[in-house]
Amino acid sequence: MSGGDIAAIFQGAIVTMALSFTGILIGLPIGLGLALIRWANVPFLAAIVTIYVSMLRATPLVTLLLLLFFALPNIGVPIDPVSAAILGLVMNTSAFNCEVWRSALMNFPRDQYEAAQSVGMRAGQRFRRIVLPQIILVSLPGLVNEMSLLIKVTPVLAVVGVVDITRAAVRIGAETYEPLPPFLVAVALYVPIVFALVSLQRWIERRQMAAEAVA
Amino acid sequence: MAAFSKVLDVAGVSKRFGDLEVLSDVSFTVDKGETVCVLGPSGSGKSTLLRCINWLEQPDAGQIYLNGSRVGINSAGTVMSDRDLSQIRTRIGMVFQHFALWPHLTVLQNLMEAPVQVQRRPKAAVRDEALALLAKVGLSEKRDAFPAKLSGGQKQRVGIARALAMRPDLLLFDEPTSALDPELVGEVLVVMRELAREGMTMVIVTHEMGFAREAATRVLFMDHGRAVETGSPQQFFSNPETERAQQFLQRYAGDIAAMRR
Amino acid sequence: MIHDFGIVWSERALLLAGLANTAILSALSAVAALLLGFGLAPALMSKQPAVSWTTRGFVDGMRCVPFLLFAYIVYYGFPTFGVRLDNWTTGLAALTIYNAAYMAEILRGAWVAQPREPIEAGIAFGFSEIRLFRRIILPPLLLSAGPVIGNQMIQIIKDSAFLTIIALPELTHAASSIQSRHYVPFAAFITAVFLYWGLCLVIEAGVSSIGRVADARR
Repeated sequence: MSGGDIAAIFQGAIVTMALSFTGILIGLPIGLGLALIRWANVPFLAAIVTIYVSMLRATPLVTLLLLLFFALPNIGVPIDPVSAAILGLVMNTSAFNCEVWRSALMNFPRDQYEAAQSVGMRAGQRFRRIVLPQIILVSLPGLVNEMSLLIKVTPVLAVVGVVDITRAAVRIGAETYEPLPPFLVAVALYVPIVFALVSLQRWIERRQMAAEAVA
Repeated sequence: MAAFSKVLDVAGVSKRFGDLEVLSDVSFTVDKGETVCVLGPSGSGKSTLLRCINWLEQPDAGQIYLNGSRVGINSAGTVMSDRDLSQIRTRIGMVFQHFALWPHLTVLQNLMEAPVQVQRRPKAAVRDEALALLAKVGLSEKRDAFPAKLSGGQKQRVGIARALAMRPDLLLFDEPTSALDPELVGEVLVVMRELAREGMTMVIVTHEMGFAREAATRVLFMDHGRAVETGSPQQFFSNPETERAQQFLQRYAGDIAAMRR
Repeated sequence: MIHDFGIVWSERALLLAGLANTAILSALSAVAALLLGFGLAPALMSKQPAVSWTTRGFVDGMRCVPFLLFAYIVYYGFPTFGVRLDNWTTGLAALTIYNAAYMAEILRGAWVAQPREPIEAGIAFGFSEIRLFRRIILPPLLLSAGPVIGNQMIQIIKDSAFLTIIALPELTHAASSIQSRHYVPFAAFITAVFLYWGLCLVIEAGVSSIGRVADARR
């Protein structure tokens, strides 16, 4: 494996990161929106969200990406690999985030909400000033966990032809007839990234437990 | 030999946890039909002593005999195997402070589990006996309930019935009412008092002084890991011999007085 | 579009074979991973640093490695060590080893959360060794870990789809094959999505019933 090969893998890494972060950033607020629809029990919409989330959580990302990349043009919606990748990541991550947000919302202490009502806050204010800041804190470990899981499935982006770490590794392997080393390099890149996220999650959890102990 | 007339013979038992000497050269015996209450301040080693009797804790020194059989050490002088310990333990019943019922089994199943699985007794006979024991502790109607659905007092009564189902030679009670709300303590003490009256051999670690006074045949007072004083309840409560026992009882009397005020 | 679904229906044998592969592969590796987990969990909690550190390294390592990459490494790596297996067995091996780490962590967490006193009562009543484990320790442990193990099973089903990359004829591979030969991508993949959904609903139903059994005893 030459320096050029390694550079190719690193370039793939950058593409992975960019796609993942885009997916995460867009998916976070969408997941929150879905959770709110279910929590507020909006008729009809809440049922759709429930089914959507259930199906997406059951669908492997590979299958979803293949569906989006091949099937959308089939039914008249042209899409390029990068957009298909981002759309798939967003759909997937929003469905999982939804469950994390929902759990925080359901466990939100009712009396705080009622206290906000009793001082005359309107719904929007109640949500923005009382509920949201707290559920962001509570959801943090779960959300970071989802992020690390998302990073771990990004190798599959090779399937839709977006240059990715894996794709670069596969290409190099095919060219050099030595498939193993590039994959090991790819792993060496992924492991620290995921490990950093997992450590971040543990750190957040520890700080929250310590805060609770003092409270 | 003298050992065989005693149900329990504890001689020179000592135990340390790290630097802390929890038990120092403790000796006492229990005759058949006796109810021995072990009293003493917290940290005096009462529970550890009890747990040494059925080898849940391993003493560092001393001998323990159940009806003449040595507990914990086999004839070769080495620590008993799990299997041999298991045999001895079936003859000693234990009632735990936090009940320790098996949560995945119903009340009746809790009673039947060890007699069937460990003692290999026939199921039908065990079932009949278990139902009779449940009736005895007043919980027949709870037989198909899971422990999680019972109150603390009910759980402990089941715990006592479960221990009795093994037909033990000796019953050990490790602070049986300490984890109970005050109003639930009574129902458990009633059962224990009845057992004492029927002649069950029992060693009870407890803080319930009133119970010890009425139901015990003998009191063993412990302090800082030593068996300080032993005697009949009448003698101990009205006329303690040692100074530490006197201090302990004074505090108890003071608590009672404070409650009455 | 109806025509497309008609084509998928005509290829249903292939699709069902793929579904069967996915289901069997997932079930086998889940059971194997759980059994391995029972061996690894005590190692995780071992008092000997050498044992616990290596196991911890393995478990954390599997947590940080993307499964797809791990599958590739197993696929290309085994022949390097002279182990020549077919795709199916390689896929099974990769899924099992990967998830054994997760199962070990799940079991460790469940064990730590178990109250000690009922187990001590078991010992006091003469239960020992295998009998103690089978009748006193294991049932409450499985009841409390049930939901988490169920979630892991769903994860295994989804990870199995990655194995399409090493040409294992599971469900996604079957759908891909139908799609590439008949040009009916939407019908093929949507059908696959519904089949995956069905599998997961079955598992979630199983988890619910375990949850109900556990709640009665809680």
